[in-house]
Amino acid sequence: MDILSNLVMGFSVALTPFNLFMAMAGVSIGTLIGALPGVGPVSGVALLLPLTFGMDPTSGIIMLAALYAGSMYGGTITSVLINTPGESASVVTCIDGYQMALQGRAGPALGVATIGSFIAGTFGIVLLMVMSPALARWALSFGPPETFALMLLGLTTVTGLTGENAVKGYISMVLGLMLAMVGFDIISGDARYAFGIPEMMDGVDFLPVAIGLFGMGEVLAGAEDANDMRILTGRYGLRDVMLSASDWARSRWAIVRGTVLGFFIGVLPGAGPTIATFLSYSLEKKVSRHPEQFGKGAIEGVAGPESANNAASAGAMVPMLTLGIPGSATTAVMLGGLMMWGLRPGPLLFEKNPQFVWGLIASQYIANVMLLILNIAFIPMFVRALRIPYNILMPLIIIFCITGAYSQKNSVWDVGQMLVFGVAGYAMKKLGYSPAAMTLALVLGPLAERALRQSLILSDAGLGIFFLRPIAAVLTVAALAAAAVPAARALWAAFSGVRPVVVPESDD
Amino acid sequence: MRSADRIAGAALLAAAVAFSVGALKYYTYWGPTGPGSGFLPFWLGIVLAVLAGFLLVSALGSRDAGASWLPQGEGLKRLVVVLAVTTAFVALLQVVGMMLGTVLFLVALLRFLEGYRWVVTLGVAVAMAAVNYLVFTYWLRVPFPVSLLGF
Repeated sequence: MDILSNLVMGFSVALTPFNLFMAMAGVSIGTLIGALPGVGPVSGVALLLPLTFGMDPTSGIIMLAALYAGSMYGGTITSVLINTPGESASVVTCIDGYQMALQGRAGPALGVATIGSFIAGTFGIVLLMVMSPALARWALSFGPPETFALMLLGLTTVTGLTGENAVKGYISMVLGLMLAMVGFDIISGDARYAFGIPEMMDGVDFLPVAIGLFGMGEVLAGAEDANDMRILTGRYGLRDVMLSASDWARSRWAIVRGTVLGFFIGVLPGAGPTIATFLSYSLEKKVSRHPEQFGKGAIEGVAGPESANNAASAGAMVPMLTLGIPGSATTAVMLGGLMMWGLRPGPLLFEKNPQFVWGLIASQYIANVMLLILNIAFIPMFVRALRIPYNILMPLIIIFCITGAYSQKNSVWDVGQMLVFGVAGYAMKKLGYSPAAMTLALVLGPLAERALRQSLILSDAGLGIFFLRPIAAVLTVAALAAAAVPAARALWAAFSGVRPVVVPESDD
Repeated sequence: MRSADRIAGAALLAAAVAFSVGALKYYTYWGPTGPGSGFLPFWLGIVLAVLAGFLLVSALGSRDAGASWLPQGEGLKRLVVVLAVTTAFVALLQVVGMMLGTVLFLVALLRFLEGYRWVVTLGVAVAMAAVNYLVFTYWLRVPFPVSLLGF
């Protein structure tokens, strides 16, 4: 048993005291970040990434992955108790979760979300563990055309599936690719678009951009209003979050469906937890025998999506680890981290860095157990944290943005860059552009360009190479189909008069 | 949103053209071995120009003015103050240093923008500076800029 011996090795890495501590820190901070409105998992990962530079990359990824999983648990608390999503993957939970809370059933709503998240998160890691090595082995046969087609697929899915305005999504993506062009071209040595500024010759650094867009940008968007949130009071002790037999009977299949659906949506490059929750909610409504209860406190409407987002966050790590293509905005930032730690993401990761990959997998099992305990026994503690006024939190997050941007290279230039992208992130958010698509494009840009140029050298300048090799052809066609989705949706809306459901710009 | 889209569309169109022209003028489109350093930038400029043109045309044709994207009144004031104080902090980072700067920054926002009492303000500010010191300077050994006073 190859997987079993690897897993044992993984646990021997994950169970060292320091790595256990990192997992614990990750799940606690993650739950908190998920719960706080205005900071989502992407901001969390971007802000904590600078802390990991001095560490072994394995400890770093253990913390960041635990944070990602934790934020999926934590987002529920805010959705249910305040009717404000803590992060975008908990938007749909507001619908029925808040209704349940109004009916005095906040306990079961939080309980079913935690149990569903635990089942989905754990099962998601099992699937990740079984699927990833095979996928990585398959991806070893990829040449430049396949790699380029795969990146194109990642870029078009993240852009085409979310946001209100597809044109603005694609504009964000192209701008991200343009930023990726800045700096030395490794093949020719040209310092492109650097305007003679030494800092720009090294390229637009990914970390200050991510911290700016997702940390500073979010804070500025929240700075406009000094509103206080109203938290529903209630009892969320151990006994209150337990499910009754009838609750369990209604939610167990929703959890199973949410898990399977969520995982495979997560695996799709570019489609992450947020999309998974929307699909899960509409699926539950369709298969339910009493769809009229949805929107009025149906427990399935919490169980399905809350399971789906955890399974999707596990699924999103599959393409990141095996193909070097992020499955969501958060994994895009993690991928940037991987590169900064000096690892080469892609199919060789499993062969070259088994300790890293299997330590991460094992630690995710541990993180889910920690989260189950944390979210059943300590909900009142997180509710108390929500009472910290946002106008105290906001300046503190700005300090973290500044120190984080500075500490990668001890550079004030980077801090300035962070601030510029913070303002850009604010404007993009307000005007309907997509910071997530821009970040993904910035990370993938250099890799995509290299694959494109190598492909065109192989084909002697013909574009046919992307359609004639079987795997490349499937991926290219899928990428073009994903790009056509927004246009098809607009046509459908024009003919049928029905406005399609819009998945919000995601922070997952 | 309509006027913002018009401005953005026009600006992006201009930027896209400049990007493509720059790619052809300063970098190699096609070298002896294959696509050069100007190849992808040129096409990115073209794609952006098409997208920006699309945005511009649909914004020009739109009758719906939409809501303003910038906040009004109090919201705008808060946004400007937060941004100005942050910019000042970053600009003066080398002079005031990270620790003193953190305290001054938090005092400016918490005391003078949000109106917290001095006790709360100083408590939060000093605690944050201490956490910053412990995590970044002591643990991660990041050499933050220090003020002339030595901290």
